[in-house]
Amino acid sequence: MLFRKMIRDLLQSKVQFLSIFLMSFLGIFVFAGLDSEASGMALYESKYYEKTDLPDLWVQGKEFKDYDLKVIRSLPGVKKSEKRIQKDGKALLKEETDLQMNFIESNDIGKMLIVSGEPYNPGESGVWIDFKLAEKQGLSTGDILKMKLEGTEFEEEIRGTFYHPEYVYFLPDAAAMMPDYGSYGEAFMDIEEYPMEPAFNQIIVDLEGVDNTGGLSDKEKDICRRMGDAIASALDSDRIVATDKDSQLSYQTFHAEIEQHQSMTYMFPAVFLLIAILGIITTMTRMTSRQRIQIGTLKALGFTKKTITIHYASYSFFLSLTGGIMGALLGYNTIAELIIGMQGSAYLVPEMKTAFSVRAYGAIIVSVAVSTLVSFLSCRKELAPAPSETLRPASPKNLKHSLIEKSRLWMKLDFATQWNIRDIMRNKVRSAMGIFGVLGCSMLLFAAFACLDTMDFLSTWMYGELNTSSYQIIMENDTPYSVTEEYAKKYRGQMVQNGSCEIEVMGVKKSGALTVYDTGNFLHFEDRNMKQIRLNRRGIAMSCKMADTLGVKEGDLFRWHVLGDDKWQVSHVSLLYRNPTVQGITMTRELYSDMEYDFVPDVIYTNMNAKEELSDDDNITGVQSVGEMMEAFDSMKEMMYMMVYILVCAAGILGIVVLYNLGVLSLVEKHRQMSTLKVLGFTTGKIRLILQDQNTWLTLLGIILGIPCGMWLVSRLFSTMPESMDYIATFKPMSFVYTFAGTFALSFAVNRLLSRKVKNVDMVDALKG
Amino acid sequence: MPFIEFKNVERRYMLGTNEFYALKSVDLEIEEGEMVVILGPSGAGKSTLLNLLGGMDSPTGGEILFNGHDISNFKDDELTAYRAWNVGVVFQFYNLIPTLTAYENVALMKDVRRNVKKGSIWEKESEGVEVMDPALALSSVGLSEHMNQFPSQMSGGEQQRTSIARALAKNPRLLLCDEPTGALDTGTGKEVLKLLQQESRKNRHTVVMVTHNSFFADIADRVIRVKNGTVQSVEINESVKDAEEVYW
Ligand SMILES: Nc1ncnc2c1ncn2[C@@H]1O[C@H](COP(=O)(O)OP(=O)(O)O)[C@@H](O)[C@H]1O
Ligand SMILES: [Mg+2]
Repeated sequence: MLFRKMIRDLLQSKVQFLSIFLMSFLGIFVFAGLDSEASGMALYESKYYEKTDLPDLWVQGKEFKDYDLKVIRSLPGVKKSEKRIQKDGKALLKEETDLQMNFIESNDIGKMLIVSGEPYNPGESGVWIDFKLAEKQGLSTGDILKMKLEGTEFEEEIRGTFYHPEYVYFLPDAAAMMPDYGSYGEAFMDIEEYPMEPAFNQIIVDLEGVDNTGGLSDKEKDICRRMGDAIASALDSDRIVATDKDSQLSYQTFHAEIEQHQSMTYMFPAVFLLIAILGIITTMTRMTSRQRIQIGTLKALGFTKKTITIHYASYSFFLSLTGGIMGALLGYNTIAELIIGMQGSAYLVPEMKTAFSVRAYGAIIVSVAVSTLVSFLSCRKELAPAPSETLRPASPKNLKHSLIEKSRLWMKLDFATQWNIRDIMRNKVRSAMGIFGVLGCSMLLFAAFACLDTMDFLSTWMYGELNTSSYQIIMENDTPYSVTEEYAKKYRGQMVQNGSCEIEVMGVKKSGALTVYDTGNFLHFEDRNMKQIRLNRRGIAMSCKMADTLGVKEGDLFRWHVLGDDKWQVSHVSLLYRNPTVQGITMTRELYSDMEYDFVPDVIYTNMNAKEELSDDDNITGVQSVGEMMEAFDSMKEMMYMMVYILVCAAGILGIVVLYNLGVLSLVEKHRQMSTLKVLGFTTGKIRLILQDQNTWLTLLGIILGIPCGMWLVSRLFSTMPESMDYIATFKPMSFVYTFAGTFALSFAVNRLLSRKVKNVDMVDALKG
Repeated sequence: MPFIEFKNVERRYMLGTNEFYALKSVDLEIEEGEMVVILGPSGAGKSTLLNLLGGMDSPTGGEILFNGHDISNFKDDELTAYRAWNVGVVFQFYNLIPTLTAYENVALMKDVRRNVKKGSIWEKESEGVEVMDPALALSSVGLSEHMNQFPSQMSGGEQQRTSIARALAKNPRLLLCDEPTGALDTGTGKEVLKLLQQESRKNRHTVVMVTHNSFFADIADRVIRVKNGTVQSVEINESVKDAEEVYW
């Protein structure tokens, strides 16, 4: 019978119980949805790398021999290694298409995952090409592929198509901003097919103690570094550079994306869940205390405490459990699928699905446990006294007059204000919850807008302040300085070399960007507080985030070397500058040359439009306008936008649910007072206004508190971004306006809905016992 | 041995720093199967007395013996078992569960028996006492027609009769009623009285009824008068009237 009672109670107080259901549904929906996406990416990343055994180290050199391989293999800690030739060539299709070629002797590390055709076996002829290239160019197994490598043309039969773990993220050249897989690609062939005299330029190594799952731990990074050094000294060669996964473009980009998702999916949904849980707590406490007499009756009839408690706790339990499970299922199938689906065009992974993580289970358990516990406790509270006590009407609380009521000002207030102040004071928990609901809603709204602001500001910052050129001309690889200089003169541009380096401070090594710039007016620098600064001509400047990660300040010493050159330099940090996406060190061309490095610029920044003129130039890879770069940048932020939309919607719905629910609760509790007001001759309109007033005050307070919380949330969010990113949380004035207007609109809408209920207040209720 | 015995019972409340005695030095005896009426003005302590009898409250002093067992120092779960096995309660405002039908409200009692702690002394004493079939209990109070109605769809008298059916369904050795006619008109009130008297006469179950209406003294075997927290007098009624014959 108690079960029937529960079902009927649920049906009777639909609004309240539905709101509990919705709150736990929404909380888990957002949490599990976003979490499943990030967890799925991380899981399938690990699975993929596990299956194909992504190398841990890439050793670049001029000409490796069998002997070198033997030396490496004999080093303790090396699991497997293979040597190969990796070169950029062309596939001769309708057009010449960029094709990175790998000539291999075996394929035990960095294995091809065959999609169609036959697997590769050492010594077999033919070519294996990446799946996207085959798909987009209409190639299939059995076709003959014509290729060109360093001027030599040759052809091979296509034996199969594949996905490859070293090519999850892959750009054809430095000019490309976004991947467009299929319009370029990569191929694998046996070393026998190499059209010239082979000279192995790469050795890939698989290490003991570095696994393929879950990113690189500090310990694994340390192993990579030590083994890299060990290999370099064992081979005893100047020109050898070992890079680990963290410096490999494909691995690093994909993993950074995953990390970004993980940090995004943590903060927001956690706040969301918190608000939902608090909403559930208030509602449940109220519901239980309203059933006080029934609880007393059941107890007087001889029901045990246990039975009664289980009965009341099961309301919350079932609601939050069904809400949670449905939220999780739906979140998993909508939000997660939606966002993970958007990753498909950016990353080449054979399989990427959503995955339900321990955290999502945890969230369900926490929300169910908390709401059940709350009902349990509030039921216990009613059960603690003897039934004779519980059956007496609850003694009205807080009959004392508050300070305001005693003050002289009180008498001057009109009736509506007095009534509202009293009502708020007498119902502190409910009022606080109302404020909290608005706070949460405006906090999430504001945070969502601020995310957009930050992204928006980021592109103006990057392409309007730090780099003021309108075009960038990207040179072909290894274009000699003398040639580049000609172009720079012609287009009155500033030459910049973008390279990589490794920086070491007190044994901690980080790879970073190396930027060397010639004189010019396009590249600008800003300090931590975004004030324009001029870099010292004779000093090396470091990006703020890099300095923070390494723990150095201006004036401190650090060691560094250019990637591809193992000569270490010791320098001072002359200045710190802030850059949102590129972390590393920067210096002038003069200084760089003084250290006896060749200045080989790869980009020219200019304001002259050379797009048409240079489109067929052999020395030029491409010309890009600021507009194109901003566009490319924006589309990389798709996921951020998606999340913002989801958040705005969910925050709105959550806000409505919390506010409506509290409104109904307060109406139920004020019912008698209101019917008395009606008997006394107040019009429905006047009563509505009184309620509206109260709502406005609480909403206002909620927003005022919510906006700073939103600011805090966004700042936290951007401070947990991956190492390479240094975003500045930005708040535009319009975001304040939107948040204010949005939250108020919501609160008003809810109030209008509630007002209709005021009309239905029955005067007879005032006269009943 | 009397069925129920109060020995120097007191119920004290603390109001701030002041002590207030809702009941003081109460001595009482009630025999099994009696129809008892507790009379007294409002605030006299009648409900307090009834609550102590029903194990819904514990005294702050003295002893209460039920069938020889002292229940005055029972812990909460022991009192629950006591209520579950022995006591039926009829409330002034019926206290039906609003979301259950009349039938379901009565059927609740089966759950009570099922949930109560096993192995108590009461279980042995009540051996063979079954919970009544809800339909039977309802028809015994004349509500066969209204079984599937919700409390809000019934009149006050019907609700109170449902409440009585609920109390009777347990076959309790002690039936307690606090102003059971308080919210009813004379006609329906009389119906209720008839039911209570019938319970004590036919089933030999003790019925204790609290009222401020002295006309009801006529139907009682024993009349206890309470005033200012003390028992003023206990009378054995020699000429018990039928509920039919009472007028007020
Ligand atoms: N929980 C309580 N706290 C303080 N005083 C109480 C409490 N319960 C009852 N009283 C007081 O005890 C006295 C007797 O109450 P009660 O037994 O309910 O009277 P009645 O005879 O009307 O049923 C009253 O004065 C009442 O105010
Ligand atoms: Mg009373």
